[in-house]
Amino acid sequence: MRSQLASIVLAVAMVLPGVSAAADTRLVTADGAITEIVYRLGLESMLVGVDTTSGYPEQTAALPKIGYLRALPFEGVLALRPDLLITSEQAAPAKNLDRLRKAGVQVEILPSAWSSEASLKRVESVGELLGRGSEATALVADLQARINNLHAAAEARGYRPKVLFVLAAGNHTVMLAGKNTAAEALLNEVNADIAFTDLEGYKPASREAILASRPDAIVIAESVPGQFNIDNWPELKLLDAWKLGHRLKTDSMLLLGFGPRLVDAMAAVSKALPANPNVATR
Amino acid sequence: MMTPSGRLDSTPALLILGSAALAVALVSVSSGAYPLSVADILRVIAGKEAADPVASMVLLEVRMPRFLLGFLVGAVLAVCGAVLQGLFRNPLADPGLIGVSAGASLAAIAVIVLGNTWLGGWLALTGDWALPIAAFTGGSLTVLLAWRIANRSGQTAVATLLLAGIAINAVAGAGTGLLTFYASDEELRSLTFWTMGSLGHAGWDDLVLGAPFMVLALVLAPWLARPLDAFLLGESVVGHLGYRTDTVKKVAIVVVGLGVGAAVAVSGLIGFVGLVVPHLVRQVLGASHRVVLPFSALLGGTLLVAADSLARVVVAPAELPIGLMMALIGGPFFLALLLRTRVM
Repeated sequence: MRSQLASIVLAVAMVLPGVSAAADTRLVTADGAITEIVYRLGLESMLVGVDTTSGYPEQTAALPKIGYLRALPFEGVLALRPDLLITSEQAAPAKNLDRLRKAGVQVEILPSAWSSEASLKRVESVGELLGRGSEATALVADLQARINNLHAAAEARGYRPKVLFVLAAGNHTVMLAGKNTAAEALLNEVNADIAFTDLEGYKPASREAILASRPDAIVIAESVPGQFNIDNWPELKLLDAWKLGHRLKTDSMLLLGFGPRLVDAMAAVSKALPANPNVATR
Repeated sequence: MMTPSGRLDSTPALLILGSAALAVALVSVSSGAYPLSVADILRVIAGKEAADPVASMVLLEVRMPRFLLGFLVGAVLAVCGAVLQGLFRNPLADPGLIGVSAGASLAAIAVIVLGNTWLGGWLALTGDWALPIAAFTGGSLTVLLAWRIANRSGQTAVATLLLAGIAINAVAGAGTGLLTFYASDEELRSLTFWTMGSLGHAGWDDLVLGAPFMVLALVLAPWLARPLDAFLLGESVVGHLGYRTDTVKKVAIVVVGLGVGAAVAVSGLIGFVGLVVPHLVRQVLGASHRVVLPFSALLGGTLLVAADSLARVVVAPAELPIGLMMALIGGPFFLALLLRTRVM
């Protein structure tokens, strides 16, 4: 009788759309930003596994890793016996996601976020999926207020600085960010432009192009702390922006993740931007 | 059991390798990241309801097709390697040599990188099959091209075929490089993983798509055994022994084009098998293609399934790329065999 009742309750719960997860939900996240949101909402006790793009906060290192989100294993994820998998549009292969659904795992795919608006929307979505809608709304309100302040300050600057955005990749190469990148999206949030508007995506750096770019500021994103060595890139040191200290070097997941730390990324970049355009270089 | 030359007879070898293949099959189907009890496995095999509701799905829809696909891909790559090594009389020949892998890669990577832009129509048309169909077509077309170039007045010049393959490899490689240059970060990761091979998505649908071509290649290959033995004596001898040299070459090219094209299409690039497995077989059983071809198939399939079984548990819950695992297992194994034969 009791088990019958339980199964009825379960059946009803499964039919209801958007049912909120219980505290003992076994959760797997496959996307660094989504994992950050889970931690930010204080729901990390639900996590039983994350993908390899989830490197922040440090505690994620202790969790089982299911591999890269573009190559998700079916059995590996299923072995963690999750109730819920939250991932982003980049997740692949689609076949394994379908198989997980078929095996009874609730698979939720969130759109990727390349703006503060979409980033906050994603915080709300994750909150709702995990049954913490009100906490998420409160967090979003707080983040929104801080973002609004940064937006206002950026507008008040009165010009759009040109920023050289460098992505350190490995020890000896760096990539320059161009159009249609998360880097450009981040700069737009603080009323600034990417220096290389004729580049598409991230491209290996040309030393001459760096010299010719004459940016107002330089942002360097490292995937591993200390990865970028300025001594290998004397061209950067020749730029006025570098000499004047309009520069920022920090973690690439912070800058490009568009997770709950977006506001920190925006604040850090804003700080590196000069109040006035670099007249000598224009 | 040893022949006077110190080599193993084929009957005991067949027994040993056959049991190894069977053992690997059992391990591959019964082990994986998701734990299944022996009782449940037996229940599913007997067609009964298992205690774990997903047991039958894991076994029948994931592990079974993965094992079969892995075995077939390994067998086909090894046989095609043996065929090309025989045809070119060159131990360094591997299925990539006449451009199949390069052509398939170029097409596959084009789908990965341009799928959202220029090739949107292709994706809309073929859906989930966009990449495998493109890879297969790309691989077959490059082989056809290499063969057309090498074909002068109805005769296929083997040396020209080899050189054409090298040139096509270079051009396709440049195309792949160009696409890599324009790829976004996610696309880059995707294509890197593709070039290391994977059976992680394998399902019955992959078998339906790839198996007909791979089976056809395996069925045609034995016909090549005797003529390829004649090739060992020199190309001119082949005709004197009563084989139609050019037909032999054509069949060999069709076998490799279809077989490797389909294998690459469903599993990505898996190196090592095609190059080394035929050598392993020759070291132990001698150079006759009547032995080398069937045993290469058996050993290639067994090794690939063994590598895949390991690849999916060593870093569980994640999976290592199969090509990586294959080289990790096969390389030292081959070295050990080389050292052993040198001592003898």
